Amino acid sequence: MKKNCTIRVALAGAALAAFSLAGPAAAQEGAAFFKGKTVTYIVATAPGGGYDTYGRLVAEYMQKYLPGSTFVVRNMPGAGHLVGTNAIYASKPDGLTIGSFNTGLIYNQLINADGVRFDLSKMSWVGKAASESRIVAVAAQSPIKTWQDLVSLKDPVNFAVAGPGSASYVETVMLANVLKLPVRIQTGYNGTDDQLAMRRGEIVGSIASRSSYDQFVKNGFGRLIAQIGGNDPNLPQMSAVVTDARAKELLALIESTGEIARLTAGPPAIPADRLEVLRGAFKQAMEDTDLRARAEKIGLPVDPLYGEAIVRMINAALKQSPETVALLKESMERKK
Amino acid sequence: MGACRLMIDVMFGSLVGLLTNPQTMGLMLIAVMIGLIVGATPGIGGRLSIALAIPFVFGMDMTQGAVFLLTMHAVNGTSGQISSIMFGVPGDGDDAATTIDGYPMAKKGEAGRALGASITASGFGGIVGAIVFAVMIPVLEPVVLSFSPAEFFLLAVLGITFIAFLAGKGQIFKGIIVGLFGMMLSTVGMDPQTGTARYSGDYLFLWDGLSTITAVLAVFAIPEMIALAARGGSIASTGGEIVKVSYRQLFAGVLEVPRHWFLAVRTSIIGAIIGMVPGLGGSAAAWLCYGHAVQTSKTPERFGHGAVEGVIAPETASNAKEGGSLLPTLFFGIPGSSGMAVMMGAFLILGIQPGPAMMTQNIDLVWTLIWALVVGNLIAISFLLFITRWVALLTFVNAAMLVPFILVLVMVGVYSAEGQWENLIILLLIAAIGWGLQRYDWPRAPFVIGLVLGKIAEESLHKALGLWGIGFFTRPLSLVLIGLIAATIAYAIYSNVKGKNVMPAGAGS
Repeated sequence: MKKNCTIRVALAGAALAAFSLAGPAAAQEGAAFFKGKTVTYIVATAPGGGYDTYGRLVAEYMQKYLPGSTFVVRNMPGAGHLVGTNAIYASKPDGLTIGSFNTGLIYNQLINADGVRFDLSKMSWVGKAASESRIVAVAAQSPIKTWQDLVSLKDPVNFAVAGPGSASYVETVMLANVLKLPVRIQTGYNGTDDQLAMRRGEIVGSIASRSSYDQFVKNGFGRLIAQIGGNDPNLPQMSAVVTDARAKELLALIESTGEIARLTAGPPAIPADRLEVLRGAFKQAMEDTDLRARAEKIGLPVDPLYGEAIVRMINAALKQSPETVALLKESMERKK
Repeated sequence: MGACRLMIDVMFGSLVGLLTNPQTMGLMLIAVMIGLIVGATPGIGGRLSIALAIPFVFGMDMTQGAVFLLTMHAVNGTSGQISSIMFGVPGDGDDAATTIDGYPMAKKGEAGRALGASITASGFGGIVGAIVFAVMIPVLEPVVLSFSPAEFFLLAVLGITFIAFLAGKGQIFKGIIVGLFGMMLSTVGMDPQTGTARYSGDYLFLWDGLSTITAVLAVFAIPEMIALAARGGSIASTGGEIVKVSYRQLFAGVLEVPRHWFLAVRTSIIGAIIGMVPGLGGSAAAWLCYGHAVQTSKTPERFGHGAVEGVIAPETASNAKEGGSLLPTLFFGIPGSSGMAVMMGAFLILGIQPGPAMMTQNIDLVWTLIWALVVGNLIAISFLLFITRWVALLTFVNAAMLVPFILVLVMVGVYSAEGQWENLIILLLIAAIGWGLQRYDWPRAPFVIGLVLGKIAEESLHKALGLWGIGFFTRPLSLVLIGLIAATIAYAIYSNVKGKNVMPAGAGS
């Protein structure tokens, strides 16, 4: 990790040096533009919760590195991040509106779902603050101790997901279908409902983002039996234990959406010089020691990537085989 | 015995620690003020205020930071009642229950008495909530874990059956129609089972359902303002003469709480337990307790026309639930409400690790927080009682000056609650219906009950059926609740029939 960090800083330095040689005039013009301006940072959820916390942190520290600017966080919740994302996409591309939303919207775009009024590949990507690897968690009182235990169950057990169409729903339904997991999917468990239900015993497990289960596992209420992405040496990587080719393709998709978590993006066609300035400020914010200290204290992982790297990942994630898209479609449009 | 002595030491030690630290007390004062101001402004939830305060507590001492945020959150509900009583403008779904009797009291020139009673009731509820919190610590697990989706469904149904009492005598069918209309509107939005958008067209803002605060303001606030503007004069229609809102009137209100102490204790406990069980939501507590007050009253026909019990019950409940909802947050690390979810994030920043270990490692902090709830509520009550005398004078201001101001307040509230302008159109549409209901003397409370509890009922029924199939209601607690529902319905039919026989004429007067 340390080494990784050093390399990143070195690369950043190199990039900055190259950048300053290449276009000092443009960058200065871009930076000057933000003086005295107000930047609206749209968070596609209600106040509170991970998206809001990351959003406020990013906005606060981007402001620090864009002298003279004022960042205002605006919560635009609704329709599973669609309202906020549509608003970011439709905003004026002057660099004064950016924001954050769930990467799971990749799924919605792939199947061209209702309510999608954006094209993620065209957005102006600033960066991402973290990765949210997925895990399979089961209740502590359940006899299931390992992934193998789960797969070889005779009678299906209840797995909780949020509302239909949510990322947790889509991922769980797809994996259950392809891997023929012995699970019955119970919908409507939003927020931390699933954890309480696991304590009550009505729900046995859940496929969720790792950070939402850290505390639960630490308190001894549950255990993790597999991971998708992530680098926990004690957990089996799901892509390594499955053999089905279709499943591997799916896992790669889930992994990549997990990789680009806590993102910051703006509408298409923000002028290049201003986007560069925004990316620069985002990068400085991510490397700020104060931000790191605060994030660590709240238990928010910081694992950033910037600009073009994100664009490549988004484009890769949006290129899926027709079979995967069909599977997604089947999972998102629930049988009536 | 020794353990008991130790417990008492910790208990009072933390109280002394809290009261003798001038810095903590100063912070609490500031927190109470912020909490009251935020609570009095419609549309700004307590959640947002905590989220905004987080940067300020960063770096504070663990105990002080937690006390600061908790007090701010706890007194939030205490000031929301001011506008719901004085102008019929509830700040959120909980306050709507207070409006039903609070606003008629203001119209009778009794704003002072209503406010005295409601402020004291919310303080009382907050303190009983803290006591329930303390008592419940040992039995937290079995109690919280015995409520599953099956029980949520039955509790919601129980709340819906209270409609029969809320409608008033001879109006039971009107009540049911209005209640069903509310339930119908609760189905707007994404179907929790199939993910199909219902009655939403292409409008994304409807996907998450109708905004409760918008519907509540449309049904209560707007029709009252139209009526007030049409009538002229002031809210308090005491014949033009300004009744002096004296401390005596306020004090008379304060005394209503000890007069109805048994009701206040019951509704506080119900509120605290509903708060403890994540998933039922805050508005359910206020409405269930309002229904309970009507149902157990000897003179239910007074409700809706300015019965002071109708103010006491929801206010005790909505403050008591704060103590309750802190329990699963602190000891399970599973927040009981969205407000508590934000609070938990803040606790982590302060270095508090919620979870079962709190019980052994941080019990002094837990007690400090319980005392902070008590002391914070006391500060809030004293302050509000002190200023209310002047605030209540507003009910004697001429309508021509007051109505535009309140309408602006309502619209700002509707917009800022969810940040979607489309809700202003919904406000107009539902207000038209609300105005019709008010004009022709149809009950309006069943509408909000149907809207709030209908959604909970539908979601929990889906979950319960998915988990256990058709026989989901055979758990012991479920059977108790079914018994309560059957008894409520039987009693409603009985009293309705009896009411008709005894009072063949003039029942509606």
